[in-house]
Amino acid sequence: MSTTLIEPIATDPAIRPGVAARALAATKRYGSGDTAVTALDAVTVDFRAHEFTAIMGPSGSGKSTLMHSVAGLDTLTSGQVFIGDTDVSSLDDKRLTKLRRDKIGFIFQAFNLVPTLNALENITLPLSLAGRKPDAEWLDLVVETVGLANRLSHRPSELSGGQQQRVAVARALASKPEIIFGDEPTGNLDSRAGAEILDFMRRAVRELGQTIVMVTHDPVAASYAQRVIFLADGRIVDELTEPTPERVLDRLMTFGD
Amino acid sequence: MFRTTLKNLAARKLRLLTTSLAVLLGVAFMAGTLVLTDTIGSSFDKLFADANAGTSVLVRGEAAFSSDMGDQRGRIDASLVGTIEGLPGVAAATPSVEAYAQLVDRDGKPIGNPGMGAPTLGGIWSQDRQLSPFALDSGRPPVGDHEMVIDKGSATKAGFRIGERASVLTKAGTQRARIVGIATFAGADSPGGASYTLFTAHAAQAYLTEPGKVDAIRVAAASGVSDADLADQIRAVVPHRTDVLTGAQVTAEDQQSIKDGLAFFNTFLLVFAVIALFVGSFIIYNSFSILVAQRSKENALMRALGASRRQVLGSVLMEAVAVGLVASLAGLLAGVGVASGLKSLLGAMGIDMPGGSTVLTTRTVVVSIIAGLGVSVASAVFPARKAAKVPPIAAMRDVAIDTSADGLKRPVIGIAVTGLGAAAMATGMFGGGGIAPVGLGAVLVFLGVAILGPVLARPISRVLGAPLPRLKGTPGLLARENATRNPKRTSATAAALMIGVALVAFITILASSTKASVARSVDRSFTGDLVVDSGAQGAGAGGLNPSFAAKLAKLPELGAVSAIRTTPAQVGGTGTMVTAGDPETLQQILDFGVTQGSLDHLGRHQIGIADLVAKEKGWKVGDTVPVRFAENGVQQFTIGATYEAAEQGGEYFVGLATYEANVADQFDTKVFVDRAPGVDLATARQAVDRAAHDYPQADVQDRAEFKQAQTGEIDMILNLIYALLGLAVFIALLGIANTLALSIFERTRELGLLRAVGMTRTQLRTTVRYEAVIISLLGAVLGLAIGAGFGWSIVRAMSGEGLDTFSLPVTQLGVMVAIAAVAGVAAAILPARRASRMNVLEAITAD
Repeated sequence: MSTTLIEPIATDPAIRPGVAARALAATKRYGSGDTAVTALDAVTVDFRAHEFTAIMGPSGSGKSTLMHSVAGLDTLTSGQVFIGDTDVSSLDDKRLTKLRRDKIGFIFQAFNLVPTLNALENITLPLSLAGRKPDAEWLDLVVETVGLANRLSHRPSELSGGQQQRVAVARALASKPEIIFGDEPTGNLDSRAGAEILDFMRRAVRELGQTIVMVTHDPVAASYAQRVIFLADGRIVDELTEPTPERVLDRLMTFGD
Repeated sequence: MFRTTLKNLAARKLRLLTTSLAVLLGVAFMAGTLVLTDTIGSSFDKLFADANAGTSVLVRGEAAFSSDMGDQRGRIDASLVGTIEGLPGVAAATPSVEAYAQLVDRDGKPIGNPGMGAPTLGGIWSQDRQLSPFALDSGRPPVGDHEMVIDKGSATKAGFRIGERASVLTKAGTQRARIVGIATFAGADSPGGASYTLFTAHAAQAYLTEPGKVDAIRVAAASGVSDADLADQIRAVVPHRTDVLTGAQVTAEDQQSIKDGLAFFNTFLLVFAVIALFVGSFIIYNSFSILVAQRSKENALMRALGASRRQVLGSVLMEAVAVGLVASLAGLLAGVGVASGLKSLLGAMGIDMPGGSTVLTTRTVVVSIIAGLGVSVASAVFPARKAAKVPPIAAMRDVAIDTSADGLKRPVIGIAVTGLGAAAMATGMFGGGGIAPVGLGAVLVFLGVAILGPVLARPISRVLGAPLPRLKGTPGLLARENATRNPKRTSATAAALMIGVALVAFITILASSTKASVARSVDRSFTGDLVVDSGAQGAGAGGLNPSFAAKLAKLPELGAVSAIRTTPAQVGGTGTMVTAGDPETLQQILDFGVTQGSLDHLGRHQIGIADLVAKEKGWKVGDTVPVRFAENGVQQFTIGATYEAAEQGGEYFVGLATYEANVADQFDTKVFVDRAPGVDLATARQAVDRAAHDYPQADVQDRAEFKQAQTGEIDMILNLIYALLGLAVFIALLGIANTLALSIFERTRELGLLRAVGMTRTQLRTTVRYEAVIISLLGAVLGLAIGAGFGWSIVRAMSGEGLDTFSLPVTQLGVMVAIAAVAGVAAAILPARRASRMNVLEAITAD
């Protein structure tokens, strides 16, 4: 572990420029007393803006809990979470919902789309929920990037799994959020479709300047990121920049389960 | 498999309860009705048994004929009492009178409403304790013509005390008499809500019948003489056409007449219980369809693991049995409560029923369980079969999408069933088939439209929901899409409401058409200005003393004044009502629309007949018809005229002389009045009001009030039916709530996703709420269409019987749609709350 590059513990809750989201001593415990399980153990981490970060770790390592907490979907037992300079842990349901709608994009593993809405309506869903008009130019660019221009009026049931995930990526991008969270976004896809999605995500960061944090257990998927954070037993145990699938796999082996 | 069913049930206790509720309410109403009528029946049985306990034999006039108002019989001579008393087997005999007498309260208002409610009667206070069903509660027996005993019920109602003087309306005019005693009837405050005024034998004959005439004689047998032997002895001495019955026969007859009355009442209420169960069956069907669809993977897995189709079918049906059992047993319990609720509802509508300890018969228990179980299981058969058809491979696949709206099979079957129903209704209404084919036809129409539902649901819901995306944005759009995404479910849910709305719309249209028809008939035939209505209808209900019309006729402010009287009679072998009046004066105010012959000089043995009767019986002017009044035998009458105005002039019309010669009690039911030339309406009315002062039951009405009064009864019945149909509508709303809850459960992940990407709780509630509104409106629209169709048909069918104007009450129907929409909002409250409180993370990661 001596070779890893662990971030210095930040004690100052104020967010620094260039950081899109931050967890500060984030702790999540289930149950109490002897049976208590610690899912997150005082994790402190910054997710830098305009960067593609992957979170890895064996099942039960707390990677999903970390992402869900930072994304405002789960609450912490103690600690703080910031999106931009907003203290997520202090928000009530209404504000939290608005935060997710306006500042966060989501790509889930499956069931990403509302079956009764067509592709375009799904892409613009967070915007229309907010009662906002999409930025036409940006929307065109996003739709162009994910290659959905001729599928916009299709309902999810008329799209392939890969196409559905592309719609999900487009939706996450459409509102120009401060940060996009992906929860195993390619977990249900074959490798070719998965690669396509990961490529879109990488381009979204490199070409469109977006910020993405992705949970995955697939070293190949993680290799698309610029930075990989490894979690085990609720703690950050390692970090890797400019990963390749081999290096990621190597690291995983080191503290394998 | 059986164990799986039980586990399913245990895991979904709440759903079991809500699903059961749909049937439970219907069962409760059914059980409540049976308990109520059994309870009333048994307390009346006891009442009559006690009342007749001391009577060995009853002597009365033979029934001349029977009509809607019961058996009509003439009176007997009071002198028979002496003849009977002289017989060796007789211990005592006492005369009995049962004729119109109505108490007036301290404010000058008549007590009771014999035209609509229980009768108001007068009789003889019998000195014989054994023979009289009445017993003094306080005071003493009457002595002389100006004293009376009244029943405890009336005394309590009006606050009368012993020693007080009160007015009694009788055929001999208004009598003032002192209340000297208050009596109970066989231990009850009054005989089933009827009021009683009891005089001495002399006074009773003077005021209520005529000297020397009584209605019956009660006889007690000497010891050692059997009732039957005594009856034989008496039969030998009484004149021809006298009825002699034993006490047991009288009791049986009294009890039977109550049973007959209750049977109608029972059937009337049971119709609504059956409607409620019918609506409930849609909800069971729908709930099970949704459950089966949601569980299709589980069932497929069972099949893949080796369960047979029969086992899957059985497991679904077992769940239906459990639902049915819960519904039946809980419904039965609730029914006891419903019985007392119904009693107060009827009490509030002015129909008093005697109390008594609650009677829960085996029949009630059996019928309730069969109904609840039957409806639940029968409604679950189709869904269960569908569950059994799930192929094992479906375990590996995603749940199939709903394709029910595709193909031609559904529309063809739906249209065929609807058509069949319409045809059945037509044979009932136009072909004279009666009520049974109409009811069956209505059920088929509902089923047919319900089968068509999935085809209709999508286009109609789209139209109904069209403004939503503009009004409510994305939540509105989602509401519309959710309402149309599963047309089978939406339409089955809406169908339950459709039934209630259709029936409400139907009776509303029927009532409004009836009112319009009555108003039209009044406009057409009544040319006068004022009507004085006694509110009385038929025999024993009394009316206005003829002196009132005579008094009016002398007033200078008034022009023509003419009264009509009505009596039961038998014409051409059919029991009916005959109207009488002075044709000369009456025709100045009432346009009979004579089509043949003339009413002008209707002779003593002549009769006028309404066209619709003439047509039905094939009679024409000059024909001879046999007419029988209660007092005299059959007489041959010649038809002197036929006329159109059956509503105001009655179906049969005779001259006043004929009436006076054949009917014992002379009462005017209505007096028609025209003002004198040059007198304004207000002045004329003042004059009539002044004259009416001494006639408490006189209700002075102008033309508008008269129209309204003619249809006042309709509003009362309408309100009662609304209240009873409210149950069916409420059950339909439970169905909407249930469907929404099941849909929300099914859409957990979707809702989680929506919340994750930024839908607020308020927006989610809006989505659920407007989905419910669309479903309700769909039900309301379909219901209105069916109700209007039913209404139009019945008006067409009855156009010959006075219902000649079809009136669509647009405002009321509009209000109904609005209420349906609001009801949808109410039904959505709990499901919407549940949806909005869902934990986002749990929802989105749910299986």
